[in-house]
Amino acid sequence: MILRPVQVTDLPALLALARLAGRGLTPLVDEERLTHRLRWVKRTFAEQVERADADYLFVLEDDDQQVLGVSAISAAIGLREPWYNYRVGLTVNASPNLGISRQIPTLFLNNEMTGQSELCSLFLRPDQRRGSNGRLLSLGRLLLAAEFPHLFGEKLIAELRGSADEKGCSPFWDSVGRHFFKMDFSHADHLSGLGNKAFIAELMPRQPLYACLLTEQAQAVIGKPHPDAEPALRILTAEGFSHQGYIDIFDAGPVIEAPLSTIRTVRDSQHLSLVIDTPDDQAPIWLIHNRRLENCRITAAPARLTGNSLLVDRLTAKRLQLQPGDSVRAVPLPNRQWHAVTA
Amino acid sequence: MLVLRTVQLTDLPQLQRLARESLVGVTSLPDDSARLRDRILDACMSLQQNVESPGPQNYFFVLEDQADRRLLGCSEIVATAGFSEPFYSLRNRPFTSASRELNIEHGVPALSLCHDLNGHTLLRGFHIDSARVRTPHSELLSRARLLFIAAHAQRFADAVISEIVGYSTDNGHSPFWDAVGKHFFDLSYVEAERLCGLESRTFLAHLMPQYPIYVPMLPQAAQDCIGRIHPDGQEAFDILEREGFETNGYVDLFDGGPTLQARTGDIRSIAQSQTAQVLAVSSIDARGRYLVSNDSLGHFRAIVADLDYRAGQPLGLDGEMCQALQVTEGSSIRLIAL
Repeated sequence: MILRPVQVTDLPALLALARLAGRGLTPLVDEERLTHRLRWVKRTFAEQVERADADYLFVLEDDDQQVLGVSAISAAIGLREPWYNYRVGLTVNASPNLGISRQIPTLFLNNEMTGQSELCSLFLRPDQRRGSNGRLLSLGRLLLAAEFPHLFGEKLIAELRGSADEKGCSPFWDSVGRHFFKMDFSHADHLSGLGNKAFIAELMPRQPLYACLLTEQAQAVIGKPHPDAEPALRILTAEGFSHQGYIDIFDAGPVIEAPLSTIRTVRDSQHLSLVIDTPDDQAPIWLIHNRRLENCRITAAPARLTGNSLLVDRLTAKRLQLQPGDSVRAVPLPNRQWHAVTA
Repeated sequence: MLVLRTVQLTDLPQLQRLARESLVGVTSLPDDSARLRDRILDACMSLQQNVESPGPQNYFFVLEDQADRRLLGCSEIVATAGFSEPFYSLRNRPFTSASRELNIEHGVPALSLCHDLNGHTLLRGFHIDSARVRTPHSELLSRARLLFIAAHAQRFADAVISEIVGYSTDNGHSPFWDAVGKHFFDLSYVEAERLCGLESRTFLAHLMPQYPIYVPMLPQAAQDCIGRIHPDGQEAFDILEREGFETNGYVDLFDGGPTLQARTGDIRSIAQSQTAQVLAVSSIDARGRYLVSNDSLGHFRAIVADLDYRAGQPLGLDGEMCQALQVTEGSSIRLIAL
C-alpha cells in the first residue's frame, strides 16, 4: 500500500471513487475539471506552479495498482480568491448601573486563514477502512509537508463537515446562508465544491452575526462536526490540531488547525537510513517517506529503529522505490485504530 | 368644556394617575412622582426660555375638564429628539446580495441601530382617558401640538416624528422584544420600558446590538411585529397619518413599532391652519367644527368649538370659549377644521 502523487492516468479510477463518495468529493465529480486538476497536480509535484496554485493530490494504491482512496493538501488557500470563515467571537453588553452583563457569542466573517495550507479531498473506499489505511491516507500527507516546509503555510488547517440531516439539510445554512443565497444547502455546497467560491464574497453579509439570533438548531451545530467527520477529527486532534473558533460559513463545521512545526508527525519524524532485513513480529508500524517530491512515495510498514537506521523488509523498500542506505523521513504511526473518512 | 393647556406643577398628582393608566410602551410617562415633577418643571422652564432655534425644550400639555378640573389626557412635544442624549431607532433597510456569476440579486432587510432621527422634533406621550378615545377631544389632544408648532415655528425642527407604540400581548409580552431585545438586555419588555421611562436612555447604548439584525433570521412572530401597531396606538397613528405623516422605515428598538415622519411645513394642521381676530359674541350660528388655539406661549390653550368661520373676517367666539382660551376681543387665534 502506498501513497503517491496522482497521475493523469488515474482519471477513471478517481471518477469511480468520486461516484462512490457522492457529496464528500464534490470537486472530483466533473470529468473536465478533474482532468484539468490532474494536470495541475502533475505540475505541482514538478514544482512548476506558484504556491498559491499548488495542489498536492495523492492516491492510496495497493500492490495491484488499484486506487483505494485520495487525499490532498492545498498549499495556500485564499490567495487566488478570498477564503472565508466565521470566527466565533464574543460581544459583551454590560451596564454596571443596571447590573446587566450579557456575553453574546458573535460570528465574525474573516479571511484570516489566507495563505495557510489546507488538508482536503480525503476519501477512502468503505471496504478499505481497516488496518493503517486511513492513517496512511491522512497522515502521509503530513510527511510531505515535514520534508518540504517551505512549500506550505505556517499552519495547516482542515475544514470538517458540519452537522446536516440525512437529506443534506444543514440547520446552520437554513438559519443563515439560505436568506442570502435563496438556495438550498446542497446546491450551495455543490457550487462551492465546484470552485464557485467567489460568489460567497458577493452574497454573504459582511457584518457580524449575533449567534443568539439564530435558530436554536443552528446555534446547537456551531463548531460541531458531522458524525462522518469524527474519525478525521480524532486522527488530527491526536496530531495536535485543535479548534480555535473558526467555522465553515455554510454548515458551521469546525475548522481545526495546527502550526506546521508542532504537528506530531512533522515534529517527531526524522531522517533515517534504510536497512533491509526482516523486522520482528512485534515491530511497530512506521510512516515512511522517500524524501522525494516529484516521485514521492509514502507507505506505512512494520519497521525497527536501530541507531540512525530504519530496518524494513524488501517489499517496503520496493514500494518506496529505494535502495539500502537511502535516506527516508519516518515517524512511528500512532497506535490507534481510527480510520479517516473525510477531510 | 374640555381645554388643552400647558402643564402646571399642581397637575402632578393627576399626571401620576394618568401615567399609571397609560399603556406599557408609552415610555415618556414615568409612574414616578419625582421624575414626573422634573418633567413638569422642565416643561414650565421651556416655556419661559427665549428660543430662537430648537434646543432641549420639552412642551407638555394636559387636557382638562373645566367643570371638575379633572385631567383626561396629556401629550408632549420634544423640540429636538436626541438633543441631550442620542435618540435611538432601528433603521429597516435592505442589504443587497448580488452575484453576477450566479445571476442572484435580492435585498435582505436588516435592522441597524442608528441615530438618524436625532434633530427632528418629536411628538410623544400621547395618552387619553379611555372614554375619550376617538372623540373630537383626542384629536384636540394630539393636533393642538401641531397648532402650537405653527404658532411658534422657530422653536421646532423642519421635520416632525412620532413613535407609535408597537404590538404587545395583553399580558405584556412583545414578540419583537422576546426575539431581539431580551437577548441583549436580559430584562422583560415591561421592565425595559419602565427603565426607559425612569432612567436616562443612555444605559441603552451599552446594551444595544451594534451590528445589523437580519430580519429573515428572526422568528416569524417577531418579523410580524416590525412596523405593527398596538391596537391602543392605532388612533394616535391614524390622526397623524391624516395630517400627512408617513412611516419612514424606522422602528422602535423595543417593540418594533413604526415611526411616523413629516416635513413640518407640510403637516396639514400647520400648513392649513388660519389665524383670525377674536370677535366677542353672545351666540354662534355654527357652520363647522374646529380646533381653536390662542397664540400664547406660556398660556397656550386650545379647544374644540363649533364656529361660523369666514376667511379674512373676525371670528366670533362666545364668552365660555373666550374664557377657556383666555382671549378677549381683538386677540389673535389660530384654527383648523376638525
